[in-house]
Amino acid sequence: MMITRRMAMAGLGAGAAAVAARPARAAGPIRLGLLHTLSPAPFYLAQTRGYFSGVEFVFFEAAQPIAAAAVSGDIDVGVTALTGGFFSLAGRGTLKVIGGALHEQKGFDLTAVLVSPQAYAAGLTAMDKLPGHSFAITQYGSSFHYMIGRIADRAGFDLKSITLRPLQQIGNMLAAVKTGQVDATMAIASQARPLVASGEAKIIGWVGDWVPYQITALFTTAAMIEKRSDDLRAFCAAYQHGVADYRAALLTKGADSDAAVADIRKFIFASNPDGPRLIREGVGWYDEGAALDVADVKAQLAWFTEQNMVKGAINAADIIDTRFLPTR
Amino acid sequence: MRAADGPALDRAVPFRAGGYAPQRVAWASAATLIGLLAFWQFCASMGWVSTSFASSPLLIIRALAALISSGELWGHLAASLQRLAIGWVIGTISGLLVGLALGLYTLARSPGMAVVSALFPIPKIALVPLFIIWFGIGEGSKIVTLAFGVFFPTVINTMAGVDGVPRGLIRMAQSFGLRPWSIITKIVLPGAMPAVLSGFRITTSTAIILLVAAEMIGADKGIGAFVLQAGNLYDTDNLLAGIVVLSVIGLCVSWVLGVLERALLRWR
Repeated sequence: MMITRRMAMAGLGAGAAAVAARPARAAGPIRLGLLHTLSPAPFYLAQTRGYFSGVEFVFFEAAQPIAAAAVSGDIDVGVTALTGGFFSLAGRGTLKVIGGALHEQKGFDLTAVLVSPQAYAAGLTAMDKLPGHSFAITQYGSSFHYMIGRIADRAGFDLKSITLRPLQQIGNMLAAVKTGQVDATMAIASQARPLVASGEAKIIGWVGDWVPYQITALFTTAAMIEKRSDDLRAFCAAYQHGVADYRAALLTKGADSDAAVADIRKFIFASNPDGPRLIREGVGWYDEGAALDVADVKAQLAWFTEQNMVKGAINAADIIDTRFLPTR
Repeated sequence: MRAADGPALDRAVPFRAGGYAPQRVAWASAATLIGLLAFWQFCASMGWVSTSFASSPLLIIRALAALISSGELWGHLAASLQRLAIGWVIGTISGLLVGLALGLYTLARSPGMAVVSALFPIPKIALVPLFIIWFGIGEGSKIVTLAFGVFFPTVINTMAGVDGVPRGLIRMAQSFGLRPWSIITKIVLPGAMPAVLSGFRITTSTAIILLVAAEMIGADKGIGAFVLQAGNLYDTDNLLAGIVVLSVIGLCVSWVLGVLERALLRWR
């Protein structure tokens, strides 16, 4: 009896310890959590060109766990999509958005709205014709859910008039549209264009033309800001250097991008012979100086709260800290 | 007693034959669960465990109450129970037929067991993407996921049950000239029933476990989809409320199976 009680106590104690967030480390490298995709390319440039000092990359396969890893103390800084899950975690007081990253920009084709050829032939040729159709997303509360929600607002229809299909993975979304199991979905340019070229899907519009959108952002923990703000400032300056190189090489028309592409390729598409083309076609917009679109982050938080995906009233000012990087 | 070379017994030997026979104490099971919940709530109320990361029983009850009063729960339950029922029935009937064949016929035994042994350990969750290609993102792939998960344990339990039927009874029936069909329905099936029914306890739990995997893809309604959605949003109250609902489904099914066991096994 005594042993079982003691064991139960030990188990509960271990559980409580695991639940309590670990404090930020006082020294040592800054651990940056990021997706192993093309989207954090300026970070790759800052790392290969030596702007960062003592920054350790921790790669993730999905956006959501990056925020959870910061809460659990496994990373110090992260760059991830601002999802419903991110806002829920940030609202509990541990995460702070400090700078911008990938942004949807008018006239800069990044995310396409794709429809199946069958649906297109049946009349789904424009955004305002989406009501009554099925639409594949990864998960509820994801960037895709947000984007279609905002497009619905802009195009003047009710999001509930669309049947959302959560398919967990981007590969599933593309497959579902190709086979006509759903009528529409979204995909980034480098994935959408080949499907259009092979006649497997049609593009009816680009998200950037409909909603300006801070897709991903740089965030850190409250403990980092409190204990290592000097390290964080140095990190942000190096990141801005990377963004400046990225904009000069890849977002400026007619610029020589070979050196930047080669440096980015050390992290992504390294063994893919088609790598340089994939990088040039897949680059996304970063604002000058890694500025954060504060107004849009507030709009996102308001939308997720209004959709009841983020519980309780979270004050945007509590989850944004603009002392480290400029604002848009 | 070896009185000659052992120590002499100068006192009465106390009675030592107690214990080692656990009794059922119904109130103790209930008290343990309630005690654990109370302890959890106490820790949360005292602020020892942050409720923003681990929720608390009261917050879960509040989330459940909100789900019930908004009517959202019934839509999710209806969708999930329908999938569970159809998937489990398909998996069970096919599993019973195959298990019976493997238990009775030499021709079926070795080839069938080879296939079952090869396919049983496959994680059904890993097959979900394939099921989507084959059966679409609608109800088909969800029901197949559940049926597939239920099928293999049913086959193995049924076969073991048939193997466990005393061969003496079958031989006796044969010598009395019963036809094969009568032997199956009057001796083999009732004899295998205890094993089959205890297999049902495993397969119903398996089906509930697989529900979350089955509802990962393309489901907008269902307890599994609801739990996943709450997880994606780090909505711990609703996540745990959904898990409580899954657990209650499990308890209800287990109770129904208990009633069924008492009814079907009265002959024992």
